[in-house]
Order: sequence, then C-alpha cells, then structure tokens
Amino acid sequence: MPAKARAAGRARPWLRSAEARHQAWGYLFLAPMFLLLVVFKFIPMLQAFYLSLTSYDLLSPPRFVGLRNYATLLGDPLFHQSVGVTAYYVFGTCVLIWFVSLGMALIFNAPLPAKNLLRTIYFIPAIVPVVVYAIIWLFLFHPYGLLNVALHAFGVPAVQWLSDTRAVLPGFILSSLWRFAPYFMIIYLAGLQSIPLEYYEAAAIDGAAGAQAFRCVTLPLLRPTILLVVVVSIILMSKVFTNVLIITGGGPAGATRVLSLFIYQTGFQYFKMGLASAASIFLLFGTMTFTLLQLRLFREDARG
Amino acid sequence: MARRFGLLYWLGVLLVAAWGLVQLAPILWMISTSLKPLNRIFALPIQWIPHPPQWGNYPEAWNQFPFARYFANSFIVSLSATVLNVFLAGLAGYSLSKYRYFGQRALFIAILSTLMLPIEVLMVPTFLIVKALGWLNTYQGLIIPTVADAFGVFLMRQFMLGLPDSLVEAARIDGAGELGTYFRIVVPLIWPAVLTLAIFTWRETWDAFVWPYIIISEDTLRTVPIGLQRFQEQYVTTYNSVMAISTIAMVPLVLLFFFFQRAFIRGIALSGLKE
Repeated sequence: MPAKARAAGRARPWLRSAEARHQAWGYLFLAPMFLLLVVFKFIPMLQAFYLSLTSYDLLSPPRFVGLRNYATLLGDPLFHQSVGVTAYYVFGTCVLIWFVSLGMALIFNAPLPAKNLLRTIYFIPAIVPVVVYAIIWLFLFHPYGLLNVALHAFGVPAVQWLSDTRAVLPGFILSSLWRFAPYFMIIYLAGLQSIPLEYYEAAAIDGAAGAQAFRCVTLPLLRPTILLVVVVSIILMSKVFTNVLIITGGGPAGATRVLSLFIYQTGFQYFKMGLASAASIFLLFGTMTFTLLQLRLFREDARG
Repeated sequence: MARRFGLLYWLGVLLVAAWGLVQLAPILWMISTSLKPLNRIFALPIQWIPHPPQWGNYPEAWNQFPFARYFANSFIVSLSATVLNVFLAGLAGYSLSKYRYFGQRALFIAILSTLMLPIEVLMVPTFLIVKALGWLNTYQGLIIPTVADAFGVFLMRQFMLGLPDSLVEAARIDGAGELGTYFRIVVPLIWPAVLTLAIFTWRETWDAFVWPYIIISEDTLRTVPIGLQRFQEQYVTTYNSVMAISTIAMVPLVLLFFFFQRAFIRGIALSGLKE
C-alpha cells in the first residue's frame, strides 16, 4: 500500500477498509486482461529470447546452443537478402505513402462537391479484406493483367511483375500504396481538421494564401500528425506477410522474402524454431525502436 | 459557391473523381471477371460489363469448398473475440482510469508496451504456448490469443479519463456497486468509444490471416480468409471462380463499413495508436 493511503488510513480508520476495498476492485477489474497479456504477449516474448539460444525442431526438446543462431543468421546470405528486401519494401512504400496520403488529405480538406461520396470511393481499397487484396494484385500482376494493359495503352512494353526480380518489389510497393494510402489519408485528415480555421484567416490577413499558407500554417501545425504517420507506416509495413505469402511466396529467388516470411518459413517449414526466434528478435528490435519513438511522440503530443 | 470557383476548380474536381475511378479499377475488374466465362477473361478490349453476365460462376465456386462453414467459423470467432475484448478491455480501462492503487502506472506502461509485440514477430513462441495448452485446431485457440490485445485498454482508458470522477463517486455513494456503476453509469456515457472499439476489433478478427493460418489445419475450423487462400491456391488459373469467391468475401467488410462508417473511420483515425 502506498504511503499516502497508509497515512490516510491511520488518520481516519473507517477509510482504511474502504480504501483497501477500492484498491481490490481496481486490481480485480484489471486482472483478466492483464493475465491474458502475460500469457500471450510477455511469456512469448521471453520465450522468443530463450528459444533464440536453442536448437529446437519440435520433436526433441530444445538444446541450448548459446549465440550460435545469431552467428548463423549473420553469416546467412538469405537472411541478409531478407533484411535488404524488408528495408527496400518498407521504406519504398512509406516514403510514397507520406506524400500521396497527405496530398489526398489536402484534397479532401478543401471544398469539394459530393465530398462524402468521393472520400468513400477513395477509401475503399483500405477496407478490402487482406486476402482479397492479395488475390486482386496477383491478378493485376498477371502478364496479361490490368497493369500491363494500362501500360500498353501508354506505349510501355509489358513488365513481368512476378518473375522479373527487379520489377517485383516496385510492383509490391505500388500495391501497398494502393491499399494503405487511404488509411493514412484518414489520419492526416483528422490532423488537418484539428487546425483552427482562424489561423488561416489570420494568415490571409497577413497576405499568405495557397502555397504560402500551407508552408507557414499547415505544415508546422501538422507536424505531430506527420511524425505519427511516419512512425506508424513504418511499423505497419515492417510486418507485412499475407500479401507476400499469397502473391509470390517470397519469390522469385527470394526477391520478396520479407522478414516475417523468413521467420515463418524457417519456423514452420524447416522446423528451425530456434533460428526463427533469433530472426524474430531482430524484427522485434526493429519494430520496438519505432514503437518507442511513437509512444514518445504521443506523450509529447499529449503534453501539448 | 459556383461563382467563387472557376473552370480550373471544376477541372480539378473532375481529375479527383477520375483518379478515384482509377483506384477503384482493380476492384471493378475483379467483379467483372467474376462474371465472365473462362475463355474471355483476358480478352481485349476489356469488357467491364460482361455480356451476358455468367452468374453461374458464383454458386459453382461457392460449392467447391465448404464456404458456409468458413463463414460460420469467422462469425463465431469474430463475435466471441469482439465481445470478450470489448468487455475485458473496458474493465481494464475502467480500472486504470477510475481507481487508484499501487503500481498502477507501471502496470499501464507494461500493458502499453505489448503493442509493440505483433503476432508476426511472436508467431513461433505463441504457437508453442497454444500447442502446449492443447489448443491447436480449436475455437479457443483462434479466439483467446486474439482477445489479448492492449489497443482497447488504451482506447477505453483515454475515453474514461474524460469522464468526471465525481460522477462515478456519486454512483458509488448511491450504492450502485462497483460493477453496477460501470455498466449503468460509465458504459452508456462512453458508448461511442465502445462501438468504435467493437467495430475495430470485429474487423481485425474477421480479417485475421497469420494466426489462423498457423494454428488451424482442420478444414472444419477454417475461417473465411484461410478458406479463400486455400481456394486460390487450388484453383489458381480458374480466375472467374477465384474472383467470384473473393467478391463474396469482400461483402461483409464493405457492409460493415457502410453501416458503421463513422465508428469505422474513427477507429482508423485512432488506430495510429496501435499499428
């Protein structure tokens, strides 16, 4: 019991039991969710650390091997490739998303006829189920698919989206942009709509309009939202799995084997649970860095 | 209004609308393909409205796999996970916002920190735990680990912090009891947050792929996303069937979006906190 409560209890004995009861209810209400998080989040995290130091194939019990899994990963060209692919995919997509979704939000923050209808249309790619999204893009990437038909209309020769190792990631980046730009448009819109109109009016009186108002009013006030979008998009993209699994399964020649897929294949196809856990730890540190950054931004944001 | 904006403005509007259509094209292509005969799928120029539409593709695809079962499974899993998550996250948020006890802040930070542990990172150990519990190929294996998600705790706490403490205390003094206060006073006041969380969780569980993909190998327990992926794998080149099933699979989420657009959008605007 904290000192303050204890002091209060001494001063007024009747409060003591009421205070204790109050605390007990507090713990009781928190307990079920907390217990679930312990079992399905904290213990798995600790177990991932432990397993990463073992050799484990699900059949015989885990055997302690020290840091050998980490050494294996650092010397594994497939792992290097996977890290590179993930970085290319994540940052390639995110940089585009930051600008495209901001542009979309700016459009929908301006006066537009039939705004709600248009915004709904723009938003639809984000509500398609993830497997349907993957199937649609698998179909678009077909040699005779819509993408190549569109390119042909502009006189561009057909691209082998699924078998050309140089074209496959740009294709995936395009698909992720399609799916996630609307999502971040919504987050940007929330940020834009929280900027008081008076600021623009004041800027207009000072003779700033259009691009200048954007630079002097919108951008500085949107800064927290921009930072949020940057961090969230990186976290979101660093765990993509489903679309890669369905569209290419990591191919051609590992050109799309992102880290989450590397972990899945190592663990559940080659049954190297220890090695997969070591790879998880790498991905964990990656996402953790950005999440901590995000929480920090939030705290600053909340303080105002 | 019309006088304030010139030709350039309307050209811009036209461009915005046209780009919206371009974004929609992949989905329209999917729907149109689902109604074509197999030998006309890549025919040029693209026939956006197939003539005549081959409606038979739908029942034919639907009957290849037990999709009714998959839908029922998805429904059971999403409903249970949503109800449990909203209930437990609500109680936890209530505890963190309207009670004072030792270690509260540390517990809150611990809960918050689980947000950086997505299933994609923890798939191996989570799988091993569920295996040890004997929950592979069970509903509880699909549901319970999904309920363990801290986003709702965070969301509920934030909204409940906005309620005046005096309100809760007054109800307690009136003898409403702890649970009674929560359900009769707090929940009705934060109803929009409850709805937002419910829609958000429903969507996440309905669309979950990684977790069921790892722990379910029995056909009778597959959810819609897994059934769809298996179907696609088996009928790779039967594009019209794959597109028909995909179109059907898209309907529930689209309906959810149109019925609860406001809560849906709010959930996304807030989910920056989560992803």
